[in-house]
Amino acid sequence: MTSRRGCNGFLSSVLLLVANLLIPAAILVFATGFFPYKPLLPGLATFDAVTEYGEPPEAKFDKIVFMVIDALRSDFVYAKGSGFQFTQSLIRNGAALPFTAHATSPTVTMPRLKAITTGSIPSFLDVVLNLDEGDESSSLASQDTWLAQMKAKNTGKLVMYGDDTWLKLFPDTFDRADGTSSFFVSDFTEVDNNVTRHIAGELKRDDWNTMVLHYLGLDHIGHKGGPRSPRMVVKQREMDGIIRQIYTAMESEDHLQSTLLVFCGDHGMNDAGNHGASSAGETSPALVFLSPKLRALSSGLPSPLPEREDFQYYSTVEQSDLAPTLAALLGFPVPKNNLGALIPEFLPFWPDPRDQVQLLMRNARQILDIVVAAFGREILESESDRDTLTESRAAYQDLAHGWKNVTGLLGQVSNGEAAPVLIPAVAKWLRNAQDVLSSMASNYDMSRLLLGQAIAVVAFLTAVKTLAMLADDKRLAFVPLSGVIAAYGIMMFASSYVEEEQHFWYWATTAWFAYTGIRGLKRGHQSPRAQVVSTALLLLVMRIVRSWNQTGQKFAGEPDIVKMYLHTNPALLWCLIAAAYIWVHMNLVFGLNSLPIWLSFAAATALVLAAFTFKVAFTLEDAPELVTGFARGMLEMNFSKHAPLITRAHTVFIGLGILAAVVLAFILLRRSVSWSQSGVATLFTLYTLLALTQSRPTNIPLFLLYSIQYRLLASPPTEHSRRRPMDDLSPVELSTLILLLQHAAFFAQGGSNSVASVDLSSAYNGVASFNVAVVGVLTFVGNWAGSIWWSWAGWLMMMERCSSPRAPRPYEATDAAPARETLGRMPREEEKEEEEEEARKRQASAWKRHVAVLTVFAAGGVAAVMAACTVLRTHLFIWTVFSPKYLYCAAWSLGQHLVVNVGVGGLVYWLRAREHAENGWITGCAGKGF
Amino acid sequence: MPSTPAKGAAATAALSKSNKPTPSPQPAQPPSLSPPPSDEKPQPPLRPVQTKPTQLARTARHALPALQAALFLARFRALVADPVAEMSMTLPVTAALQVTYALACLPVAGSSGGKGGDEAAAAGAGAGKKTATATATATAMPARLGSGKRKAAAAADGGMRKGATTAVLSLLLSALVTPFLYITMILFGAPFLTHGSHTLLCAAHMAVLALFPLFFVRGVDGRAWAALGGFAAPLDDTFGGLVGAVVGAWLGAVPIPLDWDRDWQRWPVTILAGLYAGYLLGRVVGGTVAWGKKF
Ligand SMILES: [Zn+2]
Ligand SMILES: [Zn+2]
Repeated sequence: MTSRRGCNGFLSSVLLLVANLLIPAAILVFATGFFPYKPLLPGLATFDAVTEYGEPPEAKFDKIVFMVIDALRSDFVYAKGSGFQFTQSLIRNGAALPFTAHATSPTVTMPRLKAITTGSIPSFLDVVLNLDEGDESSSLASQDTWLAQMKAKNTGKLVMYGDDTWLKLFPDTFDRADGTSSFFVSDFTEVDNNVTRHIAGELKRDDWNTMVLHYLGLDHIGHKGGPRSPRMVVKQREMDGIIRQIYTAMESEDHLQSTLLVFCGDHGMNDAGNHGASSAGETSPALVFLSPKLRALSSGLPSPLPEREDFQYYSTVEQSDLAPTLAALLGFPVPKNNLGALIPEFLPFWPDPRDQVQLLMRNARQILDIVVAAFGREILESESDRDTLTESRAAYQDLAHGWKNVTGLLGQVSNGEAAPVLIPAVAKWLRNAQDVLSSMASNYDMSRLLLGQAIAVVAFLTAVKTLAMLADDKRLAFVPLSGVIAAYGIMMFASSYVEEEQHFWYWATTAWFAYTGIRGLKRGHQSPRAQVVSTALLLLVMRIVRSWNQTGQKFAGEPDIVKMYLHTNPALLWCLIAAAYIWVHMNLVFGLNSLPIWLSFAAATALVLAAFTFKVAFTLEDAPELVTGFARGMLEMNFSKHAPLITRAHTVFIGLGILAAVVLAFILLRRSVSWSQSGVATLFTLYTLLALTQSRPTNIPLFLLYSIQYRLLASPPTEHSRRRPMDDLSPVELSTLILLLQHAAFFAQGGSNSVASVDLSSAYNGVASFNVAVVGVLTFVGNWAGSIWWSWAGWLMMMERCSSPRAPRPYEATDAAPARETLGRMPREEEKEEEEEEARKRQASAWKRHVAVLTVFAAGGVAAVMAACTVLRTHLFIWTVFSPKYLYCAAWSLGQHLVVNVGVGGLVYWLRAREHAENGWITGCAGKGF
Repeated sequence: MPSTPAKGAAATAALSKSNKPTPSPQPAQPPSLSPPPSDEKPQPPLRPVQTKPTQLARTARHALPALQAALFLARFRALVADPVAEMSMTLPVTAALQVTYALACLPVAGSSGGKGGDEAAAAGAGAGKKTATATATATAMPARLGSGKRKAAAAADGGMRKGATTAVLSLLLSALVTPFLYITMILFGAPFLTHGSHTLLCAAHMAVLALFPLFFVRGVDGRAWAALGGFAAPLDDTFGGLVGAVVGAWLGAVPIPLDWDRDWQRWPVTILAGLYAGYLLGRVVGGTVAWGKKF
């Protein structure tokens, strides 16, 4: 056995490396086929490019006030009980034309603004880019938008007040601007007052032709209190007042005579007040056009309307329809990449049918250009064999056919008489084109999908082979791992299991604890009493952990521990938080106890105090309702009471950095930073503090629960229990357990496979100017804090197990006694060296085995998700369920697996091996901390 | 939050007048005073339970699972419509079927199948004797008719008396264990604040199905229960049923998250279905092909 292992040591390392390099390769290749880079038509559209329809019809407006009220769901404006009283009166008298504008998933601000301004349907990748808002590629500066067209008209300046996403999307576009950023969703008033204070002044000036306003307050109220929050109606009245202010100016001021006021939501919100996914509430924002001139179109519509479950009020249009509609109303060519269709309700503005035909034809012609750009001109000419066409090409062919009919009609009669036939025909073609092009917004590159898939499968097989070479566990030990991988793989094909993935991990982890508990009873290494008590406690803690945050899709708003006990009882919450920080403090003092006591105590106290006051100050901004007497007092008492949040965050991060550097230096200089535990365990404590800093306050007590579980699994032997539960696990089983706990912890924190559940609240801790890398790391640590915590716990458990010299392989052991006896005996000098060498080897192979297990799961998971995305690529839920899952899968395998489990894990093992060589942490007494 | 299992379990242990572990396969077990096996003198391994060799037992052994399955399927619609009402209505029926099964097929604790359960059964017998007699005569009728010879009938009559007593005691023990099964189900993810009666009834069904036959054949023999709790006992009808019930109930949770929005996905219909299916399957498989095998 050992000799074979020696020969294969190098080979297995290479194979493991290959498998881990193939995983990112597979993810990348698949992603380029799944989210293809869409060729954008460059340049600005001009009227001169298309001349065959004659002179463009006259513009109806020359100025536009475009007001985005973030997350303005349709019913907020149209339903009974809305605060938009003035708007509703305008709807009744015809001066306001209301619509429900369908927003496609992902319902996040930046992709929605892209859709609104370009008329295109942003690719799913924009969600990722939405997170790195600073990314250049997401900028629309070089694209054709109605803003660019208004600027090109050169009839006035462009001004912008509100959400600074606009400034990021349109650098150097606005002549006057004041951006507001939304770090804290608890800001309901300030963020909006910063917009409103500019309006009166701007309405007096006549040097602009475009004014963009973007209000964030309503969205923030939604995130905090949901759509039924009592503040919601108050905010609606405030917004209605601003509309009244602008509308009144439009009536009274001369230079605003032909101004169009448009206000809309960029997306809606679900019943919990969040957005990102594709429920009816999230995809149904309101869209209202206002101007006294609109009375020419209609004599008014009934308002308010009774509430509707589906949120579809008045006519439903696509959000992208806004771009061609504004183009017609304001008299500029339709932006080149637009997929929207002119809203037909506005056609009567142009009494001459030829104008109506022309507007529609120009719109259609522009969309045809996109079809041609994607498929070449031959699609219009050739009548190729239908059978050889792929499904998507067939749909394009249909479009080409339709286009021929339309142009045929146009050719027959060049005067206005054909209009009654032609107008509906073009309108129908436009809708059809919109459907086809948007449903195929992604043209999957099948060869890349299959290649990515193949690479993932190879990575999986390589990992399996490596594991088979490395592990000498009994066969039975592989059964749970195989079961988890197989079940997970199957699950990926069912949308509801993807949405409710947490159930799987909770279910499997609970079963695992029961299984190992029962097995422990059978093996009888421990007294049945100790076995039963520890298993019951593990299960109890797991039960509390799983009901901490209700997550998933279906029951996301249901009660959970956070909502029922912590939100209603901030005193309890702060007691638990304080307990968590005190616990970290104790561990930190303990982990630095080779330093002089005053120094270790002072350092630990200063750092923990800084971290705790940061948490209080942060919560005061982010969720002030949670900060009550005691915590507030804590902040007041502190000498730093006026310190800005950013300084506090810097203090914590720098403090953590210094202490980590000290611990590292000790390890590298081969000294002990703690007499009682390994330096790596001290690093674990420092990570815990980082995790607390990056976690929502309500999630901090979870780490106390995790540490109870960790203690139960790995606390050192006592007279009551000679063996720890983890000693009964074989190496593969221990890695499987870590895998289960990592996933369970992610979901317990409120994570899910929905874009809406990404927690960005801690992403900007200590960030003054935007930096993609920093924000990315902070976001990742914030969302995976528990999972990373369990990675650390796993490393420590594994390393400690390998540390005991000559301990029988516990999973092979049949009786409990020998381990202790060996420990008590003092080994001779040369024996000791041999043992150390042996222990180092054990460490290295244990680490490789651990990584191999995790790689098998990561590669298997990636392959399964890819297979699901490929097979279900035409499924209704591909963009709402499976694509987000793919992104999460990429984050799991690149972030959690490669960076944390392999990268950081490798570093930790290396450090530990160094420590090992000097301090001989082989006496197996380590790990009293935690 | 549920009370600490250990504390609660200790209470039951006191109730059942025994220091031995509470008979539950789940981790909610009381402290045991029995020392580790290695310190004891070697004991013969636990033997699988042999069903009675009579014709009646053979017939009942196959007919009863079929009957139980048929009943469950027939009442499934009603179960979906109103789980609580249906579960409380079928609980006595299931119990009656299980008692019939135990009397017809299973050896009484301490006779030949189990060991060491005698004293415990006898000690508790006095308490339940009066109520037991009525049930015993009722359930013993078919058995008496089945046996032809007078001598055998007399022996059967004595056996029946003892069997009936044991059955009543076992039912009582099953009832006592139900709260612990309930807590275990909560630990496994059953709703805690809602659906209390749903889960409790589900636990009661589990106790009557999976644990009652074990009480009947093993009594409160600590060693046997330690083996059962560690899944170290040999497979037979009773232990197979327990394993099947536990695994079936666990797998029953699988369809719940699916977005089919069917009424039968509601708690605890799938768990109960998994429980019955697993129990019956485990009992049949454990009593036939897997008989005597160990994990
Ligand atoms: Zn938004
Ligand atoms: Zn929002």
